[in-house]
Amino acid sequence: MGEVKINNFKPKIVGYLCNWCTYAAADLAGASRLDIKPSINVIRVMCSSRIDQNLILTTFFGGADGILIAGCHPGDCHYDKGNYYARRRYALLKKVLETLKLDPERLQLSWISAAEGKRYATVVNEFTERIRKLGPNPINNNSYF
Amino acid sequence: MGEKIGIYICECGPNIANKVYIDKIIEKISSIEAYKNKELVIKNHKLLCSIDGKKFLEEEIKQNEFTHLVIAACSPKDHESTFINICKKTHLNPYLFRIVNIREQCAWIISDRDEATEKAIQYIRGSINRVSYQSPLEEKKLDSNPDVLVIGGGIAGIETALSLASKKRKVYLIEKTSKLGGKSAKFRKLLPRQNCNTDVIQKKLLDVEENNHIQIFKETELEKAIGFFGNFEVILKNVKDNNLKTELRVGAIIVASGFKQLNTSELPKYEYTQDDDVYTSLEIEEMCSQNGKVLLKSGEEPRSIALIHCVGREEKGYCSQICCNYMLKIAQYLEQQSSDIKIKEFYRDLCLPNKDDQFFLENLQNSAIDFIRIKDIEIKGNKIKYIGTDDTKKEIEVDMLILAPAMEAEDGATELAELLNIQLDETGFFQEAHQKLNPIATSTDGIFIVGAARGPSGISESILQAQAVGGEILTQLIPGEKIVPEVKVSEVLEALCKGCQTCLNVCTYGAIYFDEDRGISVVNEAICRGCGNCMGSCPSGAIRSKHFTNPQLYQEMVEALR
Amino acid sequence: MSKSNSVLVIGAGITGMKASLMLSNAGKKVYLIEKLPLIGGNIIKNEECFPNLECSTCMVAPIQQDILQNQNVEVMTLSTVEKVEGEVGNFTVTINKKARYVSLIDCIGCGMCYDPCPVVLKNEWEENLAEKKAIYVPCPGSLPNVPTIDPESCLQLSGKQNCSACVEACDFGAIDFSEKDEKIKVYVGAIIVATGFDLFDATYLPNFGYGKYPGVYTAMEFERLFASNGPTSGELILRDGVKTPESIAIIHCVGRKDQGYCSAVCCMCSFKYAHFLNQKIPDAKVYNIYSDICVPDKSYQKFFENVKRESTELVFQPSTDKIKVTKNGSGLDIKYLNGKGMEETISANMVILSLAMIPGKETSHLSKVLGINKDTKGFFLTQNRNIGSVETTKSGIFVAGCAEGPKDVQNSIIQAEASVSKVINCLE
Ligand SMILES: Cc1cc2nc3c(=O)[nH]c(=O)nc-3n(C[C@H](O)[C@H](O)[C@H](O)COP(=O)(O)OP(=O)(O)OC[C@H]3O[C@@H](n4cnc5c(N)ncnc54)[C@H](O)[C@@H]3O)c2cc1C
Ligand code: SF4
Ligand code: SF4
Ligand code: SF4
Ligand code: FES
Repeated sequence: MGEVKINNFKPKIVGYLCNWCTYAAADLAGASRLDIKPSINVIRVMCSSRIDQNLILTTFFGGADGILIAGCHPGDCHYDKGNYYARRRYALLKKVLETLKLDPERLQLSWISAAEGKRYATVVNEFTERIRKLGPNPINNNSYF
Repeated sequence: MGEKIGIYICECGPNIANKVYIDKIIEKISSIEAYKNKELVIKNHKLLCSIDGKKFLEEEIKQNEFTHLVIAACSPKDHESTFINICKKTHLNPYLFRIVNIREQCAWIISDRDEATEKAIQYIRGSINRVSYQSPLEEKKLDSNPDVLVIGGGIAGIETALSLASKKRKVYLIEKTSKLGGKSAKFRKLLPRQNCNTDVIQKKLLDVEENNHIQIFKETELEKAIGFFGNFEVILKNVKDNNLKTELRVGAIIVASGFKQLNTSELPKYEYTQDDDVYTSLEIEEMCSQNGKVLLKSGEEPRSIALIHCVGREEKGYCSQICCNYMLKIAQYLEQQSSDIKIKEFYRDLCLPNKDDQFFLENLQNSAIDFIRIKDIEIKGNKIKYIGTDDTKKEIEVDMLILAPAMEAEDGATELAELLNIQLDETGFFQEAHQKLNPIATSTDGIFIVGAARGPSGISESILQAQAVGGEILTQLIPGEKIVPEVKVSEVLEALCKGCQTCLNVCTYGAIYFDEDRGISVVNEAICRGCGNCMGSCPSGAIRSKHFTNPQLYQEMVEALR
Repeated sequence: MSKSNSVLVIGAGITGMKASLMLSNAGKKVYLIEKLPLIGGNIIKNEECFPNLECSTCMVAPIQQDILQNQNVEVMTLSTVEKVEGEVGNFTVTINKKARYVSLIDCIGCGMCYDPCPVVLKNEWEENLAEKKAIYVPCPGSLPNVPTIDPESCLQLSGKQNCSACVEACDFGAIDFSEKDEKIKVYVGAIIVATGFDLFDATYLPNFGYGKYPGVYTAMEFERLFASNGPTSGELILRDGVKTPESIAIIHCVGRKDQGYCSAVCCMCSFKYAHFLNQKIPDAKVYNIYSDICVPDKSYQKFFENVKRESTELVFQPSTDKIKVTKNGSGLDIKYLNGKGMEETISANMVILSLAMIPGKETSHLSKVLGINKDTKGFFLTQNRNIGSVETTKSGIFVAGCAEGPKDVQNSIIQAEASVSKVINCLE
């Protein structure tokens, strides 16, 4: 029975993408007509550094099965160092997730440049698959509270 | 007053129309209970970005007097600006409009039409929710002062002053020594192409001194600078009499504080004393321009001279770009001085990155100058030990040695960087805003770096950089015109800010300052670029990125998770 | 006669685009003309730029978009200058604008027209490593994102056959065979020449085996091969189908001696390639065969040292013209004279030639049309070139970027900025 449940499970993934690189990569993936899982719902921010801990936790508490934060490659941030800060906050968040008994794998940070349409598709599809295997967000299932 | 939201779905020909069910989207959204308190107008159109489509939109907005507008179409990268222009034409605040990307990131990537329709609905709902939380942001126009302050009276500073001074723009040029001209004024001939002497520089010096729109302050340094692009307040102080101060208002500041040569006594492999006939390249230039000749301490003409390139390159970790070039020039002086002088040029690589340099090298290679490529070198007084490319060790003695020490940022760069709130990079030179795309600007808008202060550069490069700053200022700081800073900026909410000052450290642009009186941080909206980093960093949630607030993103997210 | 407030910028590479945006900011009307169907120049062919390895698309696409959306900049693609009359303040320029046969207004860039087109051509923009149709965009992500029809090979336009496959595929009625080449006259006060560079033709130097052995690549070919938006989506598949070469020799300074100058960027490019290769194929053996290491920027040596430590074996040889590439079984042998003057050999499956940058093909023609001089190397000549200048031999005409001589992006930008300052001053 459990099997079936997992197979029907369509993960809900929120993708916080930086405007300058990854959002452009997502567009390029579209222009190249790549197949991408409808699991992802993109929310555009100007820079990956905009993402604060609260937002991520609220997103998980709201029921996201996975969250992808993606921005410019290190050194490429449109605002110079934003993505380094994002990386630091991400590392901290991973720890916080552990204490919440949420598998840290549910949160992913990727650097995807504007030319990497293909990689964007691969990252999203692989992440979806991983989340599918992890199953639904336990908080969502009320098993946490 | 109730909300009236216009929702327009572009078919993009078959591109969207054939990939999602537009009628289903309209039906679904019209029937959503949660929107009953809003007035929605939902329509589709064949091609909104076409001339017809734009006209249609314009009329719809005018007729319906929408409070908000949502357009589901292509990527914002394609047509956000098209629709913003329509908003502006119809006097709908563009920040109350939102474009939903249902083409690139929906119709084109999801092959199942039902799934794509669902996704499109999700995205559109997210945006309908979001626009209600958007605020009508307004452009702020700031007065600006067209005058500029140039720090450093070397060739880069002089050329900057000359490119900018005009009836409508005053230039204040400050120099810490008592003389303008910097190091280049001491050269006999100019780098790198030989056929020009220092007349050019002398002429520029005269031009600066005679220009009515340039005010020169010699023996003067910067003491303080506050403000932002278009509006800086600066205080200058006299080097000899620190109480002698001048206050000025300028719109931009240009740092042209130049370089110095590496002190060779810091290098263990170069052992010599004041009494040895060992000179740096700058000392030789000076000697040449004073005596017209290169002579030994004894007053005699040298019979054998060794020129050593790349002194300190390895230790400093960068190539100074111009040394190979000027060492060739010095070799040529020496050759012209007397054909009896035996000249040996010790180099590792010949770095001649200008289209005219190699020709000059080839000429010299045909002369009697001995070019020796080495792997390593050591000197002790006039004795040289070196390892050639064939791995053999050799020793020679010469009458005179001339070294090309690495260029370093001039003393005081660190202090200047602090005063101006700009950065030095790891080489100790000033750091560019963007090395490739914005190479003479700094991370602080309105502060520029030119010449050898920015990194090793020759006279040609320094002059070009000075003219480049001219270009930036002439097109950004136009006399009589206002400056329009970024609109989508961040702000600190006074009630929540605990004054921890975390945000001050993360802002690359120095846009946040601490208001001691109120004990809170404040964003200077004239400087902020709206990245949101401060918001991501604030532990008290006291910062709000005006067009990317938490409630706004939350609205999108709720729909994503429905 | 009062001076015109408009400016003509020739060449829409990074230099031309930067100058145009600045001038527009100062309220000038700019005509930006580009001979290719897309804007962006050579830099958009690179995956990443040295030394910070920034993604070129991320760097340049926002600038391209700004240009296309800017109200003051009128971009004319497929255009060249035919005639220039007048003088500073009042030039009359005749522009030869080739037909695109696809409407920039109606086309939405959906790409539905490529597949049905029966004509398959080599794609020169992709260094002939990919194919294109008679109706094509040079590469995914081209801006403007509107195809062009090659009139010589299109069945319909060349009169070979009745074909309307693309017209039928286009739902927007964007294709128009009746479009004609046009001559457009514009009046401008000043001109900036930013026509960039070409690369040395490697077939001139048979000793490097280019064109003879499929394993020998030019630098630009390698850039495309490595690019994630390139012909192989960034996979290193060689011409003969061999995937992932095991050993690669990168030869610096090819053509330097013949051209008589150092191109200032090739060493850094060559080290960039070593880094790329090491990242993609960590087990591969990479050699950088060099004569001088020229890393003329404060940040370049550090990059070089990192690459030297992590990615490559440096091979010194003093005379590049004596290098010989020959076939050895399925691989290649590279013979050279070492520092002691003795012959040595390196074997590799792939050779990358770092070629000299040379004046753009149209430089001679353009110099006649504009009435400005060239230097002995064939680049545009500037006044007082010994003290750095962007002024050509004719007042009101300026040159910037690689059209003036080989240089990297930041130095191209600096000249763009400098030329803008000169333009504004001369139009005052
Ligand atoms: C293989 C290689 C790799 C490189 N990698 C780097 C790197 O990593 N980092 C770096 O800093 N630099 C790099 N460079 C250097 C960089 O490419 C140049 O500095 C930069 O492209 C120069 O820009 P440009 O606008 O002057 O010239 P271009 O990019 O050549 O642009 C000129 C434009 O003008 C158009 N044009 C030409 N003639 C005409 C005409 N008659 N009429 C109308 N239009 C015309 C051309 O089609 C082109 O679009 C590299 C160079 C090479 C060869
Ligand atoms: S949004 Fe970015 S630029 Fe603005 S104050 Fe915050 S950190 Fe600085
Ligand atoms: S008419 Fe035919 S050959 Fe010509 S571009 Fe269209 S499809 Fe290709
Ligand atoms: S010409 Fe027509 S089919 Fe081709 S890309 Fe443009 S709109 Fe699409
Ligand atoms: S702008 Fe992309 S990560 Fe900062």
